[in-house]
Amino acid sequence: MTNEVCLSCEGIERYLGEEEERVHALRGISLTLEAGTIHAVVGPSGCGKSTLLYILGLLDHPDRGEVTIEAEAVSHLPDDVLSRKRNELLGFIFQFHFLMEDFTAQENVMIPMRRLGRLAEEAMRERAAHLLDEVGLGAKLARPSRHLSGGEQQRVAIARALANDPRVILADEPTGNLDSANSQRAFALLQRIVRDERKALLLVTHNPEIAERCDWIHEMQDGVLVGSHPRGTRPND
Amino acid sequence: MTPTLHIALRFLFHRKRAFILSLCGVVFGVAIFVCTQAQTQGFAQRFIDSTLGSNGAIMLKAQFRPRADNLFVEPKNSKVEAAHRRYFEGITNASEIMRISRRFSNVVSCAPVLRGTLTARAEFENATVDLFGIDPALHLRTTDIGSQIIDGKFEDFRNNPNSVIIGSRLAEALGIAAGDPVQLLSPGGEYWRFNVAAVARSGVGAVDSTRVYCQAKIAQRLLRKPYPATMIIYKLRDPETAPELAQHFEQLFQHEARSWQEREEANLQLLLTLRLSTAITVSLIILLAGFGIFNVLTMTVLSKIKEIAILRSIGYSRRDISAIFLWQGALIGALGSIIGCILGGLMVVGVSHIPLRVRGLLYADYFPVASDWHHYLWATLLALIAVAIASWVPAHRAGQLPPVATLRGSSV
Repeated sequence: MTNEVCLSCEGIERYLGEEEERVHALRGISLTLEAGTIHAVVGPSGCGKSTLLYILGLLDHPDRGEVTIEAEAVSHLPDDVLSRKRNELLGFIFQFHFLMEDFTAQENVMIPMRRLGRLAEEAMRERAAHLLDEVGLGAKLARPSRHLSGGEQQRVAIARALANDPRVILADEPTGNLDSANSQRAFALLQRIVRDERKALLLVTHNPEIAERCDWIHEMQDGVLVGSHPRGTRPND
Repeated sequence: MTPTLHIALRFLFHRKRAFILSLCGVVFGVAIFVCTQAQTQGFAQRFIDSTLGSNGAIMLKAQFRPRADNLFVEPKNSKVEAAHRRYFEGITNASEIMRISRRFSNVVSCAPVLRGTLTARAEFENATVDLFGIDPALHLRTTDIGSQIIDGKFEDFRNNPNSVIIGSRLAEALGIAAGDPVQLLSPGGEYWRFNVAAVARSGVGAVDSTRVYCQAKIAQRLLRKPYPATMIIYKLRDPETAPELAQHFEQLFQHEARSWQEREEANLQLLLTLRLSTAITVSLIILLAGFGIFNVLTMTVLSKIKEIAILRSIGYSRRDISAIFLWQGALIGALGSIIGCILGGLMVVGVSHIPLRVRGLLYADYFPVASDWHHYLWATLLALIAVAIASWVPAHRAGQLPPVATLRGSSV
């Protein structure tokens, strides 16, 4: 395995809120995600996990520090360029899957591809169908996403995150809204994709079982990364 | 199809009721604008056509000569050129002036007129009339008198020097029709007897209620004028350029020349004011449609906050998000304008068949309408501007929505 860095951040600081309610949400976070690795960020609610995820996902700006994607510092780039990079290099998965309810499963997966604009309509349809087949929803392509179960919707969200073949997948409690069986299934799917296609996965989770199966576990507390442990080396393992 | 247009269409058709309501606002705004403009311009056009058809595009009248400067003290700040002139009634060299005038490419034809005021009597009715002594052949070519005849025949007038054509409202006032006798009182106090060869309706109240046409040579004797014409009227290929040509004729012939725009300035201003007033009133409907679209798009933005956050996380930029909502506005504006123009056109046709009895400044039995592509262009432009302004605010707001706040709401 090579140490090909897909995404990294250095000295990230982030304040949230205004004046008296201002909170120092992130305090000098540094992190590196290599291709083919899965990183879990764990910690109590409100410790800054999601804030870190959104900054790494270029949806939010750090007050200090730098995010680097594919060896390019990106924090200072304008919205149009950041959006393009988000579209091309990053895939998001959320706890509540956040699908477009009026769109079918296939159309949901096609939305990022449309924005990227590299494929023709038919090719987009084929790729979306292939990705949905990969996540076990090949028979439900044309079903409106609101008519799918929670587990199915999350799998559509995973397929959508993979639509543009991103280098990094960022997942905010991807299994938080699923039952145990569906959680295991969704994680196994992500694990396979990361290994096979040499992507990097950073997931925020409260689920210790999932966290323990990741290559790295990063513990956060009050906006500080208090420890980063390779799999199986965590002190309380 | 761009990705933003694709999503805009999906958003738009998902909220069908709101979409149809917004669309209706634009459709009716555009249609009513087109229809009212066609009506007001119809009245104006009818008046202009009638005026041109009766009095020509240019009237060349009295000869003038400059006053001697050493005898004339110019008033302070005077801009009145006429104050420098002395006028002499009558045109003595009408044939020569007309011969030169016909060389101008814009001049279709011209005709001399000997004009005077007389009293007409028929049975026991009297009326003051505006006598036009005309050359029948030239006048027929220069004006619409041939098509204005509603009773009798123009040929009877041409073939009988002791006949007259009389305005329709004057004929009503005197209680006479084609074939009846009428007497005209000469300045010498003699009654000359004529036969009414025809009754003409120009459509202009002032003309129809006073005018009497007789042949020029008879008129010269009747009015006891030493000259054959008091004015020359012109028919132009492009009546809109009449003011420039009138000015040129003034300098060339040293005769007062007045274009139809100058002659009818007061009436034209009135009609223009009415037209603008209607346009402003109807524009308010389009403005209200704009408010409707503003409301609908604002509600759409509020109901699509989650979708906006999703799209932002997927890689759609602020500009893309704004574009999605601008597209919705543009689609409503474009579709509404197209349907509105079609509906407006149909309304114009419908209105033109509504019976309307107008007997005053104009003569009309139906709503006069004038369809002009400018009406459609202006209605569409107004609608698009209103929609663009109405869409911009919600679209901009949508683009500025921070996705993190929405995404965080479900992920803490």
